[in-house]
Amino acid sequence: MSRTWWRIVALGVLAVVLVIVVTPYLWLIMTSFKSRIDALADAPVWFFTPTFEHYPKVFLDKGYLPLVLNSLIVACTSTGLSLIVGVPAAYVFARHNFLGKEDLFFFFLTTRMAPPVSVVVPMFLLFGFVGLTDTRTAVILAHSTFNLSLVVWMMRGFFADIPREVDEAAQMDGHTRAGMFVRVLLPLAAPGIAATAVLCFILSWNEFLYAFILAAFESRTLTVGIPGLVTPHGTLWGQVAAVAVVATLPIIVFTFLVQRHLVRGLTFGAVKG
Amino acid sequence: MITGGMGSRILDKGVGTLFLIPALVLLAVLLLGPFFYMVGVSFTDLSFALPGHDGNFVGFDNYRHLMREDPVFWQSFVTTITFVFSVVSVEFVLGFALALLLFYHVQRRRIVLTLLLIPMMLAPVAVGLMWKLMLQGEFGMLTHYLRVIGLLDPRNAPLGNYDLVMPTVMLVDVWEWTPFVTLVVLAGLLSLPREPFEAAVMDGAQPWQVFRDITLPLMRPIIALVLLLRGIDAFKEFDKVFILTGGGPGTATELLSIYTWRVNFRNWDLGYGAVSAFMVYLVVLILCSVFYKAIYWTEGRVAK
Amino acid sequence: MSVMFKEVTKVFGDGTVALDRFSLQFDSGEFVVLLGPSGSGKTTACRILAGLEEATSGNIEVDGRDVTDLPPRERGMSMVFQNYALYSHKSVYDNIAYPLRVRGMPKSEIAGKVAEVSRLLQIDDVLRRRPAQLSGGQAQRVAVARALVWQPQICLMDEPLSNLDAILRLQTRTELKRLHHELRTTFVFVTHDQEEAMTLGTRIAVLNQGRLVQFAVPKEIYHRPVSRFVAEFIGRPAMNTIDGRIEDGIFRAKEFSLPVPGCADGKAVLGIRPEHIVPHAAAHAGALACRLDVLELVEPDMLLFVDCGGQPLIVRCTADFPELARGAEMYLELPAERLHFFDGETGLRQP
Repeated sequence: MSRTWWRIVALGVLAVVLVIVVTPYLWLIMTSFKSRIDALADAPVWFFTPTFEHYPKVFLDKGYLPLVLNSLIVACTSTGLSLIVGVPAAYVFARHNFLGKEDLFFFFLTTRMAPPVSVVVPMFLLFGFVGLTDTRTAVILAHSTFNLSLVVWMMRGFFADIPREVDEAAQMDGHTRAGMFVRVLLPLAAPGIAATAVLCFILSWNEFLYAFILAAFESRTLTVGIPGLVTPHGTLWGQVAAVAVVATLPIIVFTFLVQRHLVRGLTFGAVKG
Repeated sequence: MITGGMGSRILDKGVGTLFLIPALVLLAVLLLGPFFYMVGVSFTDLSFALPGHDGNFVGFDNYRHLMREDPVFWQSFVTTITFVFSVVSVEFVLGFALALLLFYHVQRRRIVLTLLLIPMMLAPVAVGLMWKLMLQGEFGMLTHYLRVIGLLDPRNAPLGNYDLVMPTVMLVDVWEWTPFVTLVVLAGLLSLPREPFEAAVMDGAQPWQVFRDITLPLMRPIIALVLLLRGIDAFKEFDKVFILTGGGPGTATELLSIYTWRVNFRNWDLGYGAVSAFMVYLVVLILCSVFYKAIYWTEGRVAK
Repeated sequence: MSVMFKEVTKVFGDGTVALDRFSLQFDSGEFVVLLGPSGSGKTTACRILAGLEEATSGNIEVDGRDVTDLPPRERGMSMVFQNYALYSHKSVYDNIAYPLRVRGMPKSEIAGKVAEVSRLLQIDDVLRRRPAQLSGGQAQRVAVARALVWQPQICLMDEPLSNLDAILRLQTRTELKRLHHELRTTFVFVTHDQEEAMTLGTRIAVLNQGRLVQFAVPKEIYHRPVSRFVAEFIGRPAMNTIDGRIEDGIFRAKEFSLPVPGCADGKAVLGIRPEHIVPHAAAHAGALACRLDVLELVEPDMLLFVDCGGQPLIVRCTADFPELARGAEMYLELPAERLHFFDGETGLRQP
C-alpha cells in the first residue's frame, strides 16, 4: 500500500534524475550535428535534419586531427609509464613491511592532492630550462604525477587481495622474488592492472590544465583545443561541439568497461566497488 | 633452480627496494623539485612582462604584498571557500539521498549506475563547454526555458549576471559530481552488514531511527572519505570555471586556481604568482592532513 | 495469547521452497522449539514470524489478530540472532537500552530496566564496554538482554547457542530454562541440535524440507515419533532402523528375522532405540544371535556396535556389561513394546 506508493515516487525521482544527467550531454552531441541555423535558433530545436559538416571542417580544414593523436599519445604513454613504475611499487606496499611504510604511503596520497595550478607554475619554468616547452613529453611527465599515485593506490589493493600463500607457493616452486612477481603475480593481477590502466588513460585524456600550460600549441591535446574555438568574437558552436564530442565519447565507452572497478579507483581503494 | 642461503634473501630485499626506487625518484623529481623551486621563485621578482625583472631576490616582499595589499587574492580565497562549502554540502546531501533511493527502491541498478557515471567521466572542460552552450544568453536551451517559466529575466544571462553567475557555476559542479557521491555512498551502503539493521528493526526502531542510529554511524568512514575527496577536488577546481566564465564577469567567479593562473600566465608575474601557488598548495595540504587523520581516527573507532 | 502459523508458504526467487503450507499453533508461556536439519525451513519460519521475511502465501495470527502485513516493530516480538547482531558502535549499556530508547522511554526509567535485566543475565559488570571487547558468552547474553529488556510477549531465538563452545552451551541452556520460568515470556527457539530441543522445549516442532512433521512434547517425540525421519533425528545415538518385509508375522531383512505377532504383512521399517535393546552375553529366550563388532566405552555407558543377521545395530547399555572381544558371539533381546514400525515413509504402527 504505502510501500508501492513510495516505490512510484522513488522511480519518478529516479527518472527525473536520469533525464537531468543525460540530457545535457545529448544536447551537446545533437549540437555537433546541427546546422548553424538550428544551433543558434532562438527557441531550442529538438528535431532537426542532422548535418555532418562540422566534423570534417574542424578536424581536417582546421587541422584538429593531430590533437586527437596528441591526446592519444599522451594518455597512452603516461599510463604506460605510471604502470611500469607504479605496479612494482604497489607490490612492495602490499607485501613488505618496513619502517615508515604508512608515512610513505601518505606521501603518495598527497601527490594526488597536489593542486595542478600550483605544480604547473614551477614545472613550466623548469621544463622550459630543459627545453621541454610545448612538448608531449612535458605533459606526459606532468600527468604521471597523479597517475602514478593512482596506480600505487589501486594496485596495492589488488595485490593485497591475492593471498600471501600464492607468493609462498611460487617461491617453493623455485622462483626468485622478481621472477615470481613477473611470472605469477602479474598474470593474477591482470584484471586489476587493466582496470587501473583504463582509469589512468581516462584521467590523462580528460586533463586540461597541465596540457594547456605546458603544451599550448604544437603538442596540444584535444581538451586544450576546446577553449581555442571559444573566442570573444564568436564561437562556432557546431565545430566546438564536434571537438567536445570526440573528446568525450571514447571515454564514455571506456568507462562502461571499467564500471565495476570504478568506485575502488575513484575512492583510492578505500571502498571496494 | 633454487638459490639458497643468505645470498638470495638479500637479493629478495634488494628487489623490494628496487621496485620502489623508480616511483620515489619520479615523484621526487616531478613534485618535490618543482615544489621547492616554486618556493624559491616566490622570493624573487621574476616576471615575463616587466623588463628587468629577471628573478632578483626580493625577500618577503611578495608575501607582504599578498597578505596586506592584495584584496583580489583574498576575494578569490573567499570565493573559493564559499564555492567549496556550498557545492560539497549540496552534493553530499543530494548524492546521499540518491544513494539511499537506489539502495532501497531500485532493483536493477546496473543501468542506472552506468548512466550516472557520465557526468564525472566527461572531460571537465567539455562539461564547462556543454553548460556554456546551454546557458548561452541568446540561444541557450536552458536560458530559453528558464525565461519561458519566468524564473529568469529576459534581459539577464546566467553567466553574465553578477548575482546569478556563482550559483550557476555551482550548479554545474553539482551536476558533475553528485553522481560521484552517490556511487561511493552506495558502495558503502552495500558493504554494510545486514544484521544490525535487522536487530534494530526487531528492537522496534522506526525507519528514521534506524537511519540515525545505525546507518549513519556505520557510514562514518565513508562519509568522511567522500567529504575529503570532494572537498580537495573542489578546491582545485579550474577547468570548468575557466571555460564557463574565465573567472568573470569581472572577478565574480575567480577561484583561487583561476586567480593564480591569471597572475602567472596572463600577467606573467611569476615571482608573485609563485606565492599564490604556494598558498593554494599549503591550504590543500593542510586540509588533506586534517581530513586524513580524521578518517583513520573514525575508522579505528568504529572498527574496534 | 496464542500464536498461529496458517498455511504459510515461502518460495524464494530462485524457486526453492523453504516452507510448504506450514501450520502451527501454540499458546503463551510456552517454550516452542523449531527443530530440523539445515534447509528444513525452521529459520525461515522464525523470520516470517518476526516479520523480517514476507510469506509467499499464508497468514500469521497473534491472539486472533492477523499480523501478516505488519512490520516487525508492531508485532510485539523481539529476536536474538545467531551472530548476536550487536551494535558495534554502541556500548553494551546502549545496546540493551536501545529498544527502550527507541520507544521514547525516559532515561531514568531506562536505567532501571537495563540494570534489572543485566543483573538477571549477569552482565551488569560489562555495561560500559563495547561489543568487540566481550567474550562470546557475554555477547550472547547481551543479545538476550536486549531482546528481553522491553518485556515482549514473544522472544524469538535463531540458533543463539551455535556459536558458543560446548561447555558454555550447556551452561547457557540451563540459564535459558531458568529465564523462561522466571519471566514466563513465550519463547520460540530455532535449532538443529536435537539435544538442545529435548532439554529446553515445552513442545517441539520438527520440520523437514519445509513441512511440519511433528509437534508434540519431548516425551512424545521421543517415544512415539510420527515418522522415520523424526525417529532417526532424535536421540543420540540415533534409533536403529532396519528396512525389510513382514511376512506371516515375521519381520525379515537379509538374515535378520524377528517374530512380530499381530503386525500386518508388507514392506516395513523396524525401529528400536539403542538404549532399549537388552544385550546378553549368553543365549537367552527370544534373543537373537549376533556378533560384536566394536565396543566403545562412554562412561557410565557402553556402546556396542553389533552385526545381527547382516544388519548393523547399535546398543547402549550400562558399563557393567562384560567387555567382550571383537567378533564374539552375543545375544540381543528386542522387547516387543519398544519396537517401532514405519511403513514406506510415514505412519507409525505399534504392535
